[in-house]
Amino acid sequence: MSMFAVIGHVARKEIRQILRDRRSLVLILVMPIVLTFLFGKALETGELRNIPSAILNLDGSPESNVIATAFSTYDEVQIQREVSTLDQAQALLAHGQIKAAIIIPKGFMRQIESGEEAQLQLLLDGTDNNSAPIVEGVAQRVIQRYNTERAIKGLWARGVRPDRGLRLIRPVYVQSEIRYNPGRQYLSYVMPGVIGLTLQLLTVMLMAITIPRERERGTLDQLMASPITRTELILGKLLPYFGISLLNVATILFVADRWFGIPVATQLFPLLLLCGLFVLTSLATGLLISAVSRTQFQAVQIAVFYVLPVFMLSGAYAPIEAIPDYIRPISYLFPLMYFSRAVRAVTLRGADLVQIWQDVAVLGGFVVVLLYWAVLSFHKRVT
Amino acid sequence: MPLAIETTNLTRRFGTVTAVSGLNLGVRAGEIFGFLGPNGAGKTTTIRMLCGLLLPSEGTACVAGMDVTREAEAIKRRVGYMPQRFSLYGDLTAEENLDFFAGVYRLSGRTRRTRVAETLEQVGLLDRRRAVTDHLSGGLKQRLSLACALVHSPAILFLDEPTAGADPLSRQQMWDLLYQVAAEGRTILVTTHYVEEAERCQTIVFMHGGRLIGEGSPEQCRAEMGEIVLEVDAVPVMRAGEVARATPGVSGVSVYGHTLRVFSQTAGDLERDLEAALTGRDILVRGIRPVPPSLEDVFMSLTRTARDVERGA
Repeated sequence: MSMFAVIGHVARKEIRQILRDRRSLVLILVMPIVLTFLFGKALETGELRNIPSAILNLDGSPESNVIATAFSTYDEVQIQREVSTLDQAQALLAHGQIKAAIIIPKGFMRQIESGEEAQLQLLLDGTDNNSAPIVEGVAQRVIQRYNTERAIKGLWARGVRPDRGLRLIRPVYVQSEIRYNPGRQYLSYVMPGVIGLTLQLLTVMLMAITIPRERERGTLDQLMASPITRTELILGKLLPYFGISLLNVATILFVADRWFGIPVATQLFPLLLLCGLFVLTSLATGLLISAVSRTQFQAVQIAVFYVLPVFMLSGAYAPIEAIPDYIRPISYLFPLMYFSRAVRAVTLRGADLVQIWQDVAVLGGFVVVLLYWAVLSFHKRVT
Repeated sequence: MPLAIETTNLTRRFGTVTAVSGLNLGVRAGEIFGFLGPNGAGKTTTIRMLCGLLLPSEGTACVAGMDVTREAEAIKRRVGYMPQRFSLYGDLTAEENLDFFAGVYRLSGRTRRTRVAETLEQVGLLDRRRAVTDHLSGGLKQRLSLACALVHSPAILFLDEPTAGADPLSRQQMWDLLYQVAAEGRTILVTTHYVEEAERCQTIVFMHGGRLIGEGSPEQCRAEMGEIVLEVDAVPVMRAGEVARATPGVSGVSVYGHTLRVFSQTAGDLERDLEAALTGRDILVRGIRPVPPSLEDVFMSLTRTARDVERGA
């Protein structure tokens, strides 16, 4: 038999064993769907709109009322309460019922009228470092608008018509427009990472235990005494799990499309290519772990030590630019980093193959190197 | 006759432990060659080196004319190996296991189907071929294991304790099979610690502490034993054993049911000395007679001598 026939032969045996272990099979097929759904749902709350806030209007003047009303015109904040003392505001913040308290101090209007410097105060919940800067930004915009309007009114009182007044003041506004993820939804950013993590978790674990399992059951002795080559055994084991992983890719992409607004249908080809390459890198990583582990327990241990840092360091969760310089090089060792970067480019920016070819090439390189390494790490001799 | 297996100074060390030490073997093609020795004697280590699974630390070994260090993979195509521990896939059926290993040995298409059916038939598993391996009895598992080592028609078979833990009937069936296989012209190297199984081999070697301590056909081994054996029928037998052990000229004693087997390197007047010693201790002696040594006696005698040499060294 040729090498390919032997690989197919080993693969058929693996498939038989997989199909005979019904409970594991159900787990293998259902777990990715459940995980993608749960991870996705858990991270969906990261969307930053309607940040619960309260207003403490200690001045109660017409001017302070203008400010208070201005806040409610922004989607980012939601004024849920109007409180009357600082203690109340602090209590709400401490209990997590609001993320921000907007405080207009007593004498606000008087200070403005008398030309003193007037202040608007914000109490922010620093434990939520996503919403704090957003409320701050809203406050800046509210104040800028208020200042401009006041200046125009002031000029009008001196006989300058508002349109002329506006030209005199020449206010500068920052007009920013966010491309590629207009709602700036955290979910759209993180979903490619979630897909990658789910795909990786299962494939690495499944693959990692295959060789130690044969070793523990003694069947590896019989195999090592046979003329099967290392490549035949490794690729024969890889093939069926690659098939299962492709099924998982299909279900995960379906979940991502159906519930998490990832445009899978329009980008099917690049997404399938990236997912296919990525599961191959994970399977190869699993095989490498498998080849160097003596026992299944050891294999799972190593797999966990691999999967966890990947989660934190690969930019699946947060941009790798947020990782300190001296740690960041590690991020480039994980295929997940290239995968989530490329998938993000495809789903958020609508990038085509030409634009992501570098990441595709790196993933392909990982597959070759890891598989070769796995084959070399597996020895047909006992020690 | 050409040698199927030949080793020269074959040695294997694990760290500071020497598992096999300076082994010189010659196994003729077509014979049933038995490895006899207690657990830890180095039998499995030797087999693993001969199968190409383990590199020798020193010395050389040729199997089917090929060197185990340089041509391990070529050897693997020509030999069959049945490990001591059951090592087939418990979740596959008997036939699926056999078919898998047939494929791994590169049999394909019709050849594979024919060989799988023939081998199942040969080991008597044709009617149980669809049984899940985990559900087979111990004896049947051992026969299936033999089938997997046989399916590619190897020239040489390595069987590591093929009957370990089997009942007498299963052992008988296994040996009937081995004779059949040997009759097909295959060389069989089998390890065992059952002495009565060693009797069935054409050549046996005794191993102890990694060394070869005796070699030959069962008849030769018995004939060339360096000690005489006296069978002593005495009551009470355990006390008699103690006394015999203390008698000058006696090198060893083993108790068999109601009789003792007493070993000695000096013939002479031992019979009389022994009787006098026993009677002097109020032991009833019903008979003392020299008997031809059994293989078990040879084994005990060789092991004892080897231990004495170790102690002396």
